[in-house]
Amino acid sequence: MWHTVSKGTAAVEPAVKQYLPPCQEQCPINEDIQRTNVLISLLPEDPDKAAPGILQIGDYLYEKNPLFPVCGYVCGLCELECNYHAKGGAIKRRLLKRFISDTYIPYLEGRDEWSLIKHKENVAIVGGGPAGLMAGYDLSKRGYRVTIFEASDRLGGALWLIPRYRLPERVLVSTLEAMVRMVGMDVKFNTRIGEGKWNLDRLRNEGYKAVFIAQGTPTPRTLTFGRDPVEGQDLSGVMYGHTFLYEVSHGNIRPDYFSGKKILVIGGGNVAFDVARTARRLGGETTVVALEREDKTSRDGIPADVEEIRGAWEEGIRIVYSRGVQRIIGEGERMRQIACPRCVQVYDDKGFHPVFDSADTLLLDGDVLIVTVGQGPDWTPLRSEGLVDDRGRLAVDPLTLQSRNKEWVFVGGDLRKIGFMVEAMHDGLAAAESIERYLQGLDMTEGRKRLFEAQDIPLRRHYLSEPEVVWIPPEKRMHFQLFERGFTLKEAIEEARRCLSCGPCIACKACVSIGLRESLNPVEVLADRCCGCGICVSACFYNAIQLKDVEMGRISVTDPFKCKSCGMCVAACPSGARTLRDDPLEGILNRTYSQLS
Amino acid sequence: MAEKPKIAICWLGACGGCDEAVVDLNEGLLDVVEAVSIELWPVAMDFKYDHLVAFETDEIAVGLVSGHVRNSEHAEVARLLRDRCRLIIALGACACFGGTPGLANLVPREEILDAIYRKAPSVVNPEGTIPQAETPWEGETLRLPAFLDHVYALNQVVDVDYYIPGCPPPPELIQNGVRAVLTEDLPPKGSTLAPRTALCETCPRNKTKPMRFEIHGAIRRIHEVEADPETCFLADGILCMGPATRTGCGETCIRTNTPCRGCFGPVPGVADPGSRFISSLAALLKVGTTGDPKAIMASIGDPVGYLYRFTHPISTLGARRLTEASEETP
Amino acid sequence: MGYEPKLVCFSCKFGWGYLKDPGDLEAGASLSTPVECSGRLDALHLLRAFKEGADGVLILACEEGHCHFQEGNFRTLKMLYLLQDVLSAHGIEKERVRMEFSRDPEGTSIPDRLARMRASLSALGPLNRTFL
Repeated sequence: MWHTVSKGTAAVEPAVKQYLPPCQEQCPINEDIQRTNVLISLLPEDPDKAAPGILQIGDYLYEKNPLFPVCGYVCGLCELECNYHAKGGAIKRRLLKRFISDTYIPYLEGRDEWSLIKHKENVAIVGGGPAGLMAGYDLSKRGYRVTIFEASDRLGGALWLIPRYRLPERVLVSTLEAMVRMVGMDVKFNTRIGEGKWNLDRLRNEGYKAVFIAQGTPTPRTLTFGRDPVEGQDLSGVMYGHTFLYEVSHGNIRPDYFSGKKILVIGGGNVAFDVARTARRLGGETTVVALEREDKTSRDGIPADVEEIRGAWEEGIRIVYSRGVQRIIGEGERMRQIACPRCVQVYDDKGFHPVFDSADTLLLDGDVLIVTVGQGPDWTPLRSEGLVDDRGRLAVDPLTLQSRNKEWVFVGGDLRKIGFMVEAMHDGLAAAESIERYLQGLDMTEGRKRLFEAQDIPLRRHYLSEPEVVWIPPEKRMHFQLFERGFTLKEAIEEARRCLSCGPCIACKACVSIGLRESLNPVEVLADRCCGCGICVSACFYNAIQLKDVEMGRISVTDPFKCKSCGMCVAACPSGARTLRDDPLEGILNRTYSQLS
Repeated sequence: MAEKPKIAICWLGACGGCDEAVVDLNEGLLDVVEAVSIELWPVAMDFKYDHLVAFETDEIAVGLVSGHVRNSEHAEVARLLRDRCRLIIALGACACFGGTPGLANLVPREEILDAIYRKAPSVVNPEGTIPQAETPWEGETLRLPAFLDHVYALNQVVDVDYYIPGCPPPPELIQNGVRAVLTEDLPPKGSTLAPRTALCETCPRNKTKPMRFEIHGAIRRIHEVEADPETCFLADGILCMGPATRTGCGETCIRTNTPCRGCFGPVPGVADPGSRFISSLAALLKVGTTGDPKAIMASIGDPVGYLYRFTHPISTLGARRLTEASEETP
Repeated sequence: MGYEPKLVCFSCKFGWGYLKDPGDLEAGASLSTPVECSGRLDALHLLRAFKEGADGVLILACEEGHCHFQEGNFRTLKMLYLLQDVLSAHGIEKERVRMEFSRDPEGTSIPDRLARMRASLSALGPLNRTFL
C-alpha cells in the first residue's frame, strides 16, 4: 500500500499567477481538492487496508484545514464551479470529504497534540467561531501565543446554528476541541470584549500585541415593513430563527415541542429552511413564508439551495412565495395570525427594495412565528472601540483585514462581511498572515493579491453521470439524525475516479507524493525541429498546446501550467520534436528489451 | 593548372530519375562541367565497369550514387565506389532510404521471382525457368548478378558521407550539394544536405490550418475526393505525410494539389518516419462517442504501403545491414 | 513446440499494481514494465520489441473511460489497429500484440494474464523473422 509524502518535491507549488482547477479557484481557502481526490481514487477497496490511506489523506487536509470534517457535512461551494457540472454532474466533493471525515474523527480525537514552539508575541482572538479559530490555529503554528476570548460557553460560533440532521454533534465538537488542543490555544469562555471590564485597551495592557476581532453577527434582524418595524413582534409565540436554532443546539428542547402547533417561518434563505425543517421535526405543521419568488433563475428568486427546498417540500413543509408580513395579529398576549400582502418585486436596479400589493393580502394562522430574515453585528462595541468610520461603517482594509483606525486591530468573518463558513475561515487565514506581517514589520500587501485562472475541462469522449445521492424517505426523517447517506469506500473511490483532475500538475502532485512518478517531467519542444504541423495540439486533451508564429516560422508551444506531462504529444509528434525532460522511458525500454536477448 | 576534381555519378537499383534530375540542372550543368571532371556516368556517358576499377583508392573526390542495393552487382559497385571515392553522397530516396522498391521487402524473394518469370499474365515460360547467378553453358560459366533477398539502402551496404533525398531530388539541391563539396563548406559527416524541419514548415497551405484541427470519422486518400487547391490536406481530412517528411523539395506535389507521400524521408532525430506517423494518425483521427475505432483506422486503406512508401528499408522492422553472409546465391 | 515465447508486457501505473509496496513493485517489474500511461507507448516502441526478439507484446491499460490522462488508453488502441496491419504485412500475426483494459490495483491478475498470453503465443509458434 502506498504511503504519501507532502514535503520536498511532492509539495504543491505556489505561484503568483497560475491556473487552478475551478473547484480550487472557487474555494476561498484554495484547498488541495484535486490532489486529495486523486489520492482517494487510489485507495484499496478493502476497508481495513484503506484505513491508513484515508488517515494520511485526512492528515494532509488537516494541515491546511483543521475544520475539514465539518466542511464535509456543510460546505460544497467547490461543486458549484466543478467543470463536470455541465457534463453529467459536479463531483460530489463534499461527500468525499465527509467520507474521509468519518474515519478521521475517531483518530483525531485520540491524536497527540503537536509540540509547537511558541516563541513569538501574544495575540488575542475575539470570537471563537470559524474565523477566529482558523486565525488562532494558523498563528499558533507560526509560533504565536494565542488566546481566544469567547463570549459564550462554547466555541464554534455560527456553526451551532446548523441543525443536527445536517451536521452531527460529535463531528462538530470533536473538530472544535481538537483544533484548540492540537496547537495549544488558550480559551477564555464567557468573556465578552467591549463589555464590562474587557476592551481593546485592556487587551493591549495585558500584553497582546495584535487583536483579531471576529465576533460574528449575533443580532437577529427584526421584521420591518417598509421602514417601520412590524407591529406585534413582542407577542408571545414570536421568536427569532437564530435564537431558536441556538436553543435547539443546546439540546434543551423536547422532541415534541411543537406537536399540534402551526409554525410560520418568515424568510427565504437557507437558515429559514433550517428553522422550518427543525420545527417540522419537533412536530410542528410548518409553513415557510418568503418574500422571494419560486423561480430561482429570476433576480427575485428564492435564495435557499435547491436541496433545502426539495427536502422541505418532501417533509411536508408548505412554502408560500412572494409574500411579506405587514402585521402580526394577536389575541390577548399570543399571536394568532399574520397579514401577508403580495410582494410584486423584491429587488430593483439599486438593490433591496420590496414593493407590495396590499389589495392582495393573505391571512395565515399560526401559533408560533419564527422570524429568520438575517442577522447583523453588535455595533455597540465596534463603535465604542472606534472601529467604524464617520459613516458608521466598519473601517477595515478588505485585503489585509487591518483596521484603518487602529493598526494593531484586525477584523474578519461574518462581522466584516456575511458569508459562508469557509469565507470566514479565509478571513481567519488572511488575518493571521496580516498579523504576522504587521508584527514582523514586513510589507502588508506584497504578493498577496493572487490571481488564479480556472482551467477548462479536459477533453474526452465520454463523461459519466453523477452518482445518485440517497436520502432517507421523508416519512422516516422526523428526527435529528443525518438523512443523507454518505459514501461507502467503494462509492468514494468511484466518485473520486470520476474527477478529471482539471488543474495543473504543480498544484497537485498526487502521483509524485505516492511514488507513482519520480518527478514531473516538463515537456520540452525542440524549436528547430518543430515544423508547426499542429498534430500535437490535437493530441493534447488539456488544450495545453498552441501554435505560435515566431521569427523562424510556426512552432508549437506548451503552457507549463496546463501540461500534465502525460506524453501524448511526445508520442504523436511526427518529427520527434517533443520530449519530456529527464524522461525515464528510454532507459526503462532499454532495460526491458535487453532481457530479450 | 590544378586538376579539376573528379566526380562519379553512378546508378545502382535505380530508375534513372535522379540522373535525370542532374540533367535538369540545364545550363547549370555547364557550370558543373567546368568545375569538375565527370569520370563516370553510365546513364549519360560511355563508361564501363573497368573504368571504375582502374581508379586508385580515394582518387575520385565525390561519388553521387543513386539507387538501392538489391543484387550482388549493386553491392559490388557500391563497395568499389566507396573505395575509389573520398566522399560518397547518397542521391535520391532509393540510395538514402531504399526508396519505393523497398516495399518489395514484404514479399518473399521466391514469390517475386515466381511472379515475374512464371505467373505474370504476359509470360510464356513453359519450363518455369528463373535466371540464375551462375549457369554452366558449353563448358563455361555464365554469370548474372545474384538477386538478394532484401532491398537495402546505400548506408546499409557502405559508409555514406552525405545524403540528398527526394524522388527525385530537386536539381537545386543537387547543385548546392555539389557546390558545398567543392568549396569544402560541409556540415558534419552523416548530414543530409537539405533543410532540417518537416514539410509543414515551408508548405504554402500550413497557415490555412485552424489553430486546432482534428479529423473526424474517416480519413480519405487523394484519389477518393476532389481536393480544395488551397487548404491543408490533413485539415481537410485527406491523408498527407508532410508532417513526418523533411522539407526541401519545393512542395512540387502540394502545388499540383497532391498530398505529400514522404519521398524526402525523415527529419533528423527520427529513424523511422512511417512508424512515427502511426502514432500521429492515432492522435489525429477522432472517433467520437459512437464511432468504431477499428473501422476508422481502417479508412486509411493501405497503411503499410502509404507509411513506408519510400522508407521501408530504414524502418524499424525492415532495417538490415548487408553482410557477406547475407549475399546468398540462389 | 518446445520454444519459450518471449513476452514483453507493459502496464499502466494508474490502473495496475499501484497498491503494491514499492519493494514488490520492483520485483514485479521483471514481469511487466510499468509506464505512466499506456498512451505513452508509441508504434516505434512496440515495433522495437519485436525487432529485438519479442514473440509477443501485452499492454495492460486502464478501463475504457477511466484513463487518468483522459484517453491515452484509447489512443493506444487506435494506434494498435494500424500497428497490427503493419505487423501482418510483415508476417507477424495480429494476435501477437494485445491490449487488455481493466483495473487491478494489487496486480494479482498479471501473472495469469501473462500465462494466458504466453500460451497463445506458444500456439502461434515462434515469430516468423523472414521479413525482419
